[in-house]
Amino acid sequence: MDFAIDNIIIPLIKIGIVFGVLSGVVALMTLAERKVAAFIQVRLGPMRVGPHGILQPLADGVKLMLKEDILPAKADKWIFTLAPIIALVPAFIVFAVIPFGPSLELFGKTIPLRITDLNIGLLYVLSISSVGILGIILGGWASNSKYPLMGALRSAAQMVSYEVALGFSIMGVLMIAGSLSLVDIVNKQKEFGWWFVFLQPLGFILFFVCGIAETNRAPFDLPEAESELVAGFHTEYSGFRFSLYFLAEYANMIAVSAMAVTLFFGGWLRPFANYPLPGFLAFLDAPLMGLVWFGIKVAIFLYCYLWFRWTWPRYRYDQLMKIGWQWLLPLALANLVVTAGIVLLFIRKG
Amino acid sequence: MAQAETLFDASELTVSMGPQHPSTHGVLQVKLKLDGERVLDAECVIGYLHRGVEKLGEVQTYGQFVPTLDRMDYIAAVSNCLGYCETIEKLLGVTAPPRAQYIRLIMTELNRITSHLLWLGTHAIDLGAITTFLYCFREREEILKIFENYCGARLTTHMFRIGGTQYELYEGFQDQVRKFIQDFPKKVDEYETLLTENRIWLDRTKDVGIISGKDAIDMGLTGPSLRGSGVQWDLRKAKPYCIYSEFDFDIPVGEVGDTYDRYLVRMEEMRQSARIVSQAIDKIPDGPIMAKMSKIIKPPVGDIYHSIESPKGELGYYIVSDGSTAAYRARVRPPSYVNLQSLKKMVVGHMVADVVAVIGTLDIVLGEIDR
Amino acid sequence: MKVKRRDLSLLKRLFLVDLIRGLKLTFGYQRPSANYTEQYPKERPKIAERFRGAPRLNNDPVTGETLCIACNLCALACPEHCIEVGWERDPAGKKALTTYTFDVSRCMFCGLCEDACPTPCLELTQEFEMSLYGRRDMKLDRKTLEEGVQPVIYLK
Repeated sequence: MDFAIDNIIIPLIKIGIVFGVLSGVVALMTLAERKVAAFIQVRLGPMRVGPHGILQPLADGVKLMLKEDILPAKADKWIFTLAPIIALVPAFIVFAVIPFGPSLELFGKTIPLRITDLNIGLLYVLSISSVGILGIILGGWASNSKYPLMGALRSAAQMVSYEVALGFSIMGVLMIAGSLSLVDIVNKQKEFGWWFVFLQPLGFILFFVCGIAETNRAPFDLPEAESELVAGFHTEYSGFRFSLYFLAEYANMIAVSAMAVTLFFGGWLRPFANYPLPGFLAFLDAPLMGLVWFGIKVAIFLYCYLWFRWTWPRYRYDQLMKIGWQWLLPLALANLVVTAGIVLLFIRKG
Repeated sequence: MAQAETLFDASELTVSMGPQHPSTHGVLQVKLKLDGERVLDAECVIGYLHRGVEKLGEVQTYGQFVPTLDRMDYIAAVSNCLGYCETIEKLLGVTAPPRAQYIRLIMTELNRITSHLLWLGTHAIDLGAITTFLYCFREREEILKIFENYCGARLTTHMFRIGGTQYELYEGFQDQVRKFIQDFPKKVDEYETLLTENRIWLDRTKDVGIISGKDAIDMGLTGPSLRGSGVQWDLRKAKPYCIYSEFDFDIPVGEVGDTYDRYLVRMEEMRQSARIVSQAIDKIPDGPIMAKMSKIIKPPVGDIYHSIESPKGELGYYIVSDGSTAAYRARVRPPSYVNLQSLKKMVVGHMVADVVAVIGTLDIVLGEIDR
Repeated sequence: MKVKRRDLSLLKRLFLVDLIRGLKLTFGYQRPSANYTEQYPKERPKIAERFRGAPRLNNDPVTGETLCIACNLCALACPEHCIEVGWERDPAGKKALTTYTFDVSRCMFCGLCEDACPTPCLELTQEFEMSLYGRRDMKLDRKTLEEGVQPVIYLK
């Protein structure tokens, strides 16, 4: 009975909570994008559905689900339906290894606020996010049309190129923390007293830039830009399948933000975690507050995603690829070499 | 298997950037021959918006033709009006009174700002900077409010009549215009903050769509596109019409002739227009707003060509009169039509994504091209 | 005057100065006081007095008779020939208006008819919400023109 509760029921509850919260946040992101865009553009955004447009995601969801189910002629039906799912699922299962908070004492049990702690957590995240690219290629292929295929290939080439630089940029963190487990990385940041962003500023910038390019967001969103000749891999998608791609994009954004927060900004740690707080502020150290701190940091990153999209123009495809290979990869390698030297000399002491 | 034509053969691919496209400003079809991403050839197919404006010029009387001309270049409707009214006045040998001339000048320069703001907004949104579009339209809204207060319409204004203007200035006109001109340079600075030194913008617009000064003159390019290539030619200074010779303003000129230069030229032109309006608004003389002439316009037999500097280039009118109340031939020289011919020269050798930038930088209006 | 081409110096490139300036500007615009939206149809826009909207025939406020003298100048002035004026001569020889049709579907709201009218009878009002269900309804007759196009009041 104890075994069942510890290993089946509690993880199931945690998975349910994480999945539910994640879906809710993804739906909220669709509204947040429109509202933030509107405020930056001196207008108001959705205002009619619900007070100040709060119920807009509901209306959008209902609309997309009730739309006619269009399948292009001679398109591969099964792959056409499977592709958005392949794009969506990896974004959700990345959250299996991310620590949301410290351990919680409940009914005599110590429940760590994470789904699981893989000792190869970072490797797991990188490999799972690569699977998402498959969803895009399959979507373009299954549409049985020239332009979606070309758009899908461009998109996939962009994502693969930036994956390389992404991987290199987080190796500095790996070296300093000495472990692939995300839980260990957060705990090391608490031990050091400094968030890793202060020790690896270049690594953080490279990670975030590569993350933006990975999720096909501005300024790297040419493959899916509206004013482009090729409308991208999701041209032939409409209705519910399109909404799956749409959600996959937002889920990927949240996954990248969560990773950036965990790796560089201390995960669930509060600012100045090693300094004790006066009595009346002690609640800020509570285990459940870890969730709140994590949420705040991820929200700031998501806001930055939206902010960047609506401010800057977009790069042309060849300029995009040039930046990925000519600038980001060498910088990541240089960062790696310098960090390795410093770690060897000062942290590991020979 | 013989040399099968697969999707990825290095042969040419003809693609139609069709009439319905978010970035061709209007219904323009550009047939592109592509080799991978490089453009080998570009052919424009126009005529989707042809409405027979020049034929209407032969049927409607001179006075009735003026509102039809608003619909030609619907963004710079005031310039169309001004050009035509000045042409007929020249044919008749009539001059508009000074007060009317001042009103015409102020409205035309405000319209130049309007047109360039729309150009900036659409050009930026094509290249991905979506917010600039909204900011430009906010400024444009202020000017359109001035137009609405003055003549009753925002876009197709029909402000001037042959011989002067119809509407007297309204109460509060000078304050409203002065307030706008005061705020405007700060707003242009904002657009420049967002775009001019932005590395992404520089990468997208520098060395894209280069045309040399000599080629530009050979193709008949006029307007800011010509001045971007280094040729100092502006009809307001070269052949002054209206009362431009009384005001102090500069003509910005580029050096390289790429998209970035044309962008800088138009940004500076907006500032210079604001400068002209701020000089003119204080000096409006009193007097009549309509010249003394008969109500029925019957010009003497003859022909005349007169052109003005519209925001898009040299807008010319060639009117042939046979002595009756309607023209025998009313021919319009649309600047966008002539400017569009240089699209092929600018685009060949660049990537597909640059075609969008070049169409944006030429500042074409299909209403003018197709008439 | 020559335009100034800008180029980014190495230091500016390194520290992303240009990108951050753009971000600062857009961040600053997110205050509610900068909002420029009019929530139509909840908030009615302010229309200028001289706005050229739907046409209307005015009656004499005292006698209630039409001010139109059936001079036909508006029909002659219209570039699109949307106006048709019908009159008859009364025993004194004066013209009296019988029918007046105005085809709003062809009208381009240029205002030439309003300028041509010698009396304050024909005027272009500030109504712009003129949606109708068919082209036949667009030929407004004298009665509709004298009543004027009614504004639609939105409750929400």
